[in-house]
Amino acid sequence: MVDQLPNLGREEEMLKEMGIESMDSLFADVPEPVRMVGDLPLPDAQSEEELLADARRLLGANLALGDQPSFLGAGLYRNFIPSSVFQLVTRGEFLTSYTPYQPEVSQGMLQAMWEFQSLVSELIGMPITNLSLYDGSTAAAEAITCAVRVHNRKAEQKDTVYISELTPPDRVSVIHNYCQGAGIEIKKLKHDNNGCINLESVHEARGSCAVYVEQPNPLGIIDEGYPSIKEIIGEHTALIVGVQPVSLGLLEAPGHYGADIVIGEGQPLGSPITGGGPLYGIFGCTKPYLRLMPGRIVGRSIDVDGKEAYCLTLSTREQHIRRHRATSNICTNETLIALMGAMHMSLLGPEGLKHLAIRNMAACTHLKRELSSIESIHQPHHQQSHFNEFVVELPEQTSSCLAFLEQDGIVGGFNVSDWYPEKSNQMLLTVTDQTSKDDIDRLVQSLTTWTMEVTA
Amino acid sequence: MSRLFDHYGAEGKGYAQPSPILPASELNLPANMVRNQLPRWPRLSEPEMVRHYTWLSKRNFGIDTGFYPLGSCTMKHNPRVNEVVAQLPGIADIHPHQSEHQLQGLLSIYYEMQEMLAICAGMDAVTLQPVAGAQGEFTAVRCFQEYFRHRGESNRTKVIVPDSAHGTNPASAAMSGFEIIEIPSQEDGRIDLSALRAVVGDDTAAMMITNPNTLGLFEQDIAAASKIVHEVGGLMYYDGANFNAILGRTSPGLMGFDAVHYNLHKTFSQPHGGGGPGSGPIGVKEHLASFLPSPIVARREPNVAEKEQAVDAFWYHWHVPENSIGKVQQWHGNAGAVLRCWAYYRRYGKELRTMSEHAVLNANYLRHAIHREAKAAGVDHLFVDGADTVVAKHEFTLSLGPAKETLGISAMDVAKGLLDMGYMAPTVYFPLVVPECMMIEPTETESKETLDTFAKDFCKVLQLDAETLHNAPTTTPVRRVDEVYAARNLCLRHPFDND
Repeated sequence: MVDQLPNLGREEEMLKEMGIESMDSLFADVPEPVRMVGDLPLPDAQSEEELLADARRLLGANLALGDQPSFLGAGLYRNFIPSSVFQLVTRGEFLTSYTPYQPEVSQGMLQAMWEFQSLVSELIGMPITNLSLYDGSTAAAEAITCAVRVHNRKAEQKDTVYISELTPPDRVSVIHNYCQGAGIEIKKLKHDNNGCINLESVHEARGSCAVYVEQPNPLGIIDEGYPSIKEIIGEHTALIVGVQPVSLGLLEAPGHYGADIVIGEGQPLGSPITGGGPLYGIFGCTKPYLRLMPGRIVGRSIDVDGKEAYCLTLSTREQHIRRHRATSNICTNETLIALMGAMHMSLLGPEGLKHLAIRNMAACTHLKRELSSIESIHQPHHQQSHFNEFVVELPEQTSSCLAFLEQDGIVGGFNVSDWYPEKSNQMLLTVTDQTSKDDIDRLVQSLTTWTMEVTA
Repeated sequence: MSRLFDHYGAEGKGYAQPSPILPASELNLPANMVRNQLPRWPRLSEPEMVRHYTWLSKRNFGIDTGFYPLGSCTMKHNPRVNEVVAQLPGIADIHPHQSEHQLQGLLSIYYEMQEMLAICAGMDAVTLQPVAGAQGEFTAVRCFQEYFRHRGESNRTKVIVPDSAHGTNPASAAMSGFEIIEIPSQEDGRIDLSALRAVVGDDTAAMMITNPNTLGLFEQDIAAASKIVHEVGGLMYYDGANFNAILGRTSPGLMGFDAVHYNLHKTFSQPHGGGGPGSGPIGVKEHLASFLPSPIVARREPNVAEKEQAVDAFWYHWHVPENSIGKVQQWHGNAGAVLRCWAYYRRYGKELRTMSEHAVLNANYLRHAIHREAKAAGVDHLFVDGADTVVAKHEFTLSLGPAKETLGISAMDVAKGLLDMGYMAPTVYFPLVVPECMMIEPTETESKETLDTFAKDFCKVLQLDAETLHNAPTTTPVRRVDEVYAARNLCLRHPFDND
């Protein structure tokens, strides 16, 4: 029996008052041929206790990364989230509210999102941000279609964008799906053997609508070539930079080296990885993109008494008003996860963010050094700087290495051949603030044993 | 007033973290990539941060704080056990790239949800990847597009939507490059079959429609509409925003639809979170199954080694549909939202039908109670029902046209008056076919007493004079917000003195 329905058992009383005969009469307008007959072929209702027991059993069968040393990242990063974030975000006033269409009774979330915009704006160095898109991949896709809307008229290479050839295929697939309706052609930018962007190749993007690169790039490399890109492509081609937000505690904000649009997977700030969702996409841009950008935006305003007040603004770009001419179809976004991001950012403060970035990069640097002692493990981009992940070339297939590590109680890195099939011996190792020196020692020890086994 | 950016504590203030493994001096950053100016973020201690966000929360209205009859948005109670489930480490702390044998619990729940959603909607295959209703629409329309390409019918470039459709329908179809053909509804808000017949042809790709429609009325001609579209080779798309009204009583499959999206954050109680996260799985009939985004979850007999790790009699694995459109989100959708909705579903099981029945019962009861109380209070001349039907489904509309004409009181005025009575206002000015529209959806989780009291209070608002209502609300944290000022004097971030 379900316990969520206050009027259970009072159906007759209510129907009688309405002068309606039965529950069936309430559905008399459903024509007979389309009526469902009989019960739904589903199990009986469970009590909360039964449900929790099942949830604990089934989810307990998943391997939670916190239970073992883990080096899996590749786009999602498990940083520590302060306890107060979870405590506050589940307050019913936030959790159970809808999109703030009635600003007078939604000032809390509206102000929180305006503050989120302010925090992100400072973080990425962009004057304008929205209050979140679904995730990093859809943010990248929406940034590209936005750039085409802005630049296509004057572009020499019409309906054309260039993205880094390193962009993970799953992300490229999202970008492709969003772009194909608008007839946008996606071309690739080449990289050199050292893992950095080939600036000659960037010249080919001149006259196109946009260039999309990520910093650090998908191989974890901090690419020092990016500050030259904007000068090469010129003002009529958008430079879109995808960021890992935590890295911006150490790395220059893309807004300060010519980016026109900055996007990113916001998750490392404020959110657990949760099997890949819900996350939140960061989107920020400069003024020329404002009226054609996607997503909801909060503006600071006043009420009739002249008192400070907040409301959604620039809605005429959106689907509920502009319908098929909207800049995006997005309606529900990731507000609550963005709120977690804002809470985490406000606890960190500027120096806390820097410290968090240092912890990530220090663990990465330490792991790189320790691994250099294993002769048969090669670091193809060892001369580059890495923020919190880097690629190693193994003496044998990555899959066999991952199986060995698992036996040893370690969740290894990402198998790079899942992205680029020809790189069957490459593994992307990721650290975060949660990676301890002990974790690194254990990984190095385990890899030492494995390499001795396979190279013997 | 508490403002985040008013907190400028001492440098370095913030929550304490352990020391890094290596000192910062040992890190090797490219000189041109070093950040010289940190973000100008405020500095708060934990007590200040907790108080700020608690203060903000008190200035926000949620289902937990009061009745939230926002039409079309299905603001039902969000059971708290769902939050507990979603925070278990077996979901919160797992990575989508982990191997299948490390994620059997998640995969089995995904499979169960795919099956359950397929059964409820009368579909054959389901993907849980789309992360919002609008993204579900977009995903389905992309599948349609590839389906037609596959059949050599790329000439099908038009998508038909009724003028009463949610804005996301035309926006999602246009994103895929389709041309939108909007057809007028009949005067009563229902679909106009002759208008539909007039626009279908061999260039028709699909029709997108929601049923019950945005007036809360069941489209009785839906099977005929499906037939018209199918006869010219088009596909029928069901916008699941109002699925909570019919679950267990009929299904999109029975009505002739080829595809459907589910708003898990409506029907299945994922909390709306002030605007998200949502989850927008789609279900399709067999002929579209091979085009779904990749991967979905399939199952088979486990082998000997797998038996030990299996959670039940099956081995669950990712499956890439043969003609998949690829990805619409980089990972496997909003897994955390799917888990919450799984928990919600488990609490109902086959009694999901009772959930729908009570949603409809409550809507009809509130509609009745409002008319009853209006008569008693002598304000029944100030509004008319948006429909002339005996029964509505999960929501209904009222037109405040008479109040506007006789007293100058608009639907928005009444909405603001209701805020002063401690309620969230119903949806106003949608759908457009009803003048001075108020769209009311009580949901199944409100008691008869709440509905009776709301009906009385609604009438009390109508008894107020126009001037009072024009000035409403007066008891809320701020009074009417100047949206024109916001758009003309754009202030989208904290302005620093030295900017």
